[in-house]
Amino acid sequence: MNRTLLTALLGAALCAPATAQHSDFALKSDFEDQYRQISARLDSASTTEEIDSLKEEIERLASDYAPHEEFLDRALYPLTFSESITKLRSLQVLTYDRVYLIRTQGVKLSELEARITSLTTRLDSLTAQRDQLFGELQESRKSLSALREAVRRLTANLTAKDRLIFAIVDSIFLPYGKDLSQVADVQKEAIGQRLERSNVITRVYEIAADNVKFLDATQLQGRDYGNLIEQYEAFNGRWAGLKQKMTDVAAAGASIPAESAEKGTSKAAVVRRGVKELRDAPETAAAQAAHVDSALVEWHAKLIAGFWGGLQKEFSQAGISVAPFSDGPSFSASIRQEVASLAASKQDPQPFVDALWKQRIDRDWREGLSKDAMLGRAEYAALDKLVSELSRDTIDTTFVAYIAGILVIIGVIWFFVFRTKKRPDQPVPAA
Amino acid sequence: MNRLAKLLFVPVLLAAVPACSVLRLDSVDFGWPVESVVTVSGTNTIEDIRYSVKAEVAPLAQEEFQDSTALRGARLRLLRSTEGYYFLTGAKFRHVYVFAPGPSSLTLTKAIQVSEVGLRNPALNQRPPFVELLDGDALRILLTSDDIAEAKK
Repeated sequence: MNRTLLTALLGAALCAPATAQHSDFALKSDFEDQYRQISARLDSASTTEEIDSLKEEIERLASDYAPHEEFLDRALYPLTFSESITKLRSLQVLTYDRVYLIRTQGVKLSELEARITSLTTRLDSLTAQRDQLFGELQESRKSLSALREAVRRLTANLTAKDRLIFAIVDSIFLPYGKDLSQVADVQKEAIGQRLERSNVITRVYEIAADNVKFLDATQLQGRDYGNLIEQYEAFNGRWAGLKQKMTDVAAAGASIPAESAEKGTSKAAVVRRGVKELRDAPETAAAQAAHVDSALVEWHAKLIAGFWGGLQKEFSQAGISVAPFSDGPSFSASIRQEVASLAASKQDPQPFVDALWKQRIDRDWREGLSKDAMLGRAEYAALDKLVSELSRDTIDTTFVAYIAGILVIIGVIWFFVFRTKKRPDQPVPAA
Repeated sequence: MNRLAKLLFVPVLLAAVPACSVLRLDSVDFGWPVESVVTVSGTNTIEDIRYSVKAEVAPLAQEEFQDSTALRGARLRLLRSTEGYYFLTGAKFRHVYVFAPGPSSLTLTKAIQVSEVGLRNPALNQRPPFVELLDGDALRILLTSDDIAEAKK
């Protein structure tokens, strides 16, 4: 009995140093593997129960590796052990909130994914339809009504695409709430991957480029511009919001350890292998954003040039020569100058007031001019009043002439009546 | 004149000494906290991203296995000691190679024999002032830059 015990103790003593030894690399790798597994499971978790169980796993990971904290602080650079655990805990809390939000909203992640897929398919069919419409636009140049119909359908197509792409964006960001600063880096990475999968940036760029092509391909009327300016302004605003979110997402992608980024499918993630390459994520996002920005600048420039050029053409077609204008202030100055000139001269303001301003500008261009980006509602109203006052002078002269005419008619009538009444009183000449 | 030269010699020497001295920073710790496990590429190179080290290992393959292509696809263990030496080994190696860094080169300072038949699953750990070599649970050796300090089997 004693001999057996002695043998066992000797064996344990001999084995003790051997079993206690471990590879630092293996320790670090084991920790990273478990960290990644928990992150991935949190990312795909869809029930609060599942997330609760993961909380226990996080605490177990923290306690298991706490004895190696000093080593892991150096080995896990740039994060420390406690930072890694804190990150995982905050991810758990945020995921819980997200899943709870989705559950209470009655929206499931799978439903959102299906919605994104459906929207993307509709967007693709609209793109196919757009190509056909551009073709129709080219063919229908000879017929004005066909041209108008092609323009209308193409505008509707572009608006629908615009609406759909931002519906996709909204669906992608919906589960994470409005404040992206509260979203964990791993989740931001997931958003980045969804944006990439749905090809969002390329599609946004495509819409901007389509609008440039559309403005190049067709001659628009004044009444078309109100809608187009509104569409541009809305698109520009939504793009600014998306760009900010993309920057946040890309910055988060860059701060995720290379190993965990490798599991992603995004180009930025795939090329990430180390610190140097990690910088590529925000740079790629910035380059893509700059690409869209340049398309938007071109869209804006063409829209503005088309608008003011078309408006100037209205004046020349009406045979009214005004000082050239290319923006709101110069248009305003030009109209004020024309009104002052007409008021000072004895020239008939009728062609300007009625034929041009009332029939063309006020009817076709007012909506576009009233946009803040062009002239603004207040300034348009001021100009309209100014022109109307010019017109009132004309009405007053007419009114005076009208009154004078009536007085003449009354006088003539009175004269005849008076003569008629006088006749019986006239003495009958003696026979 | 001779006397004058002797008188001037000491002050001139004293003035010259600080000018000729080399600036030296001591107590530098070059040690990596954990080894790098690197895979030999098809072009016989290894690269560690975190510490920006890249080296060609065909001469090492020739030295250890007498075949310059023997290491292609192999996983090597690389660790820099606190003194600044690079320790390199791998599965089937009978040695741990210790290199000193130079301008665009690593120069072998010592090939320490650690196994008669070749290591099976080696790992290097930083254990200042030593580098620890493990081979599964069977072997534990503490290494200095030029020898085995302690071995337990």
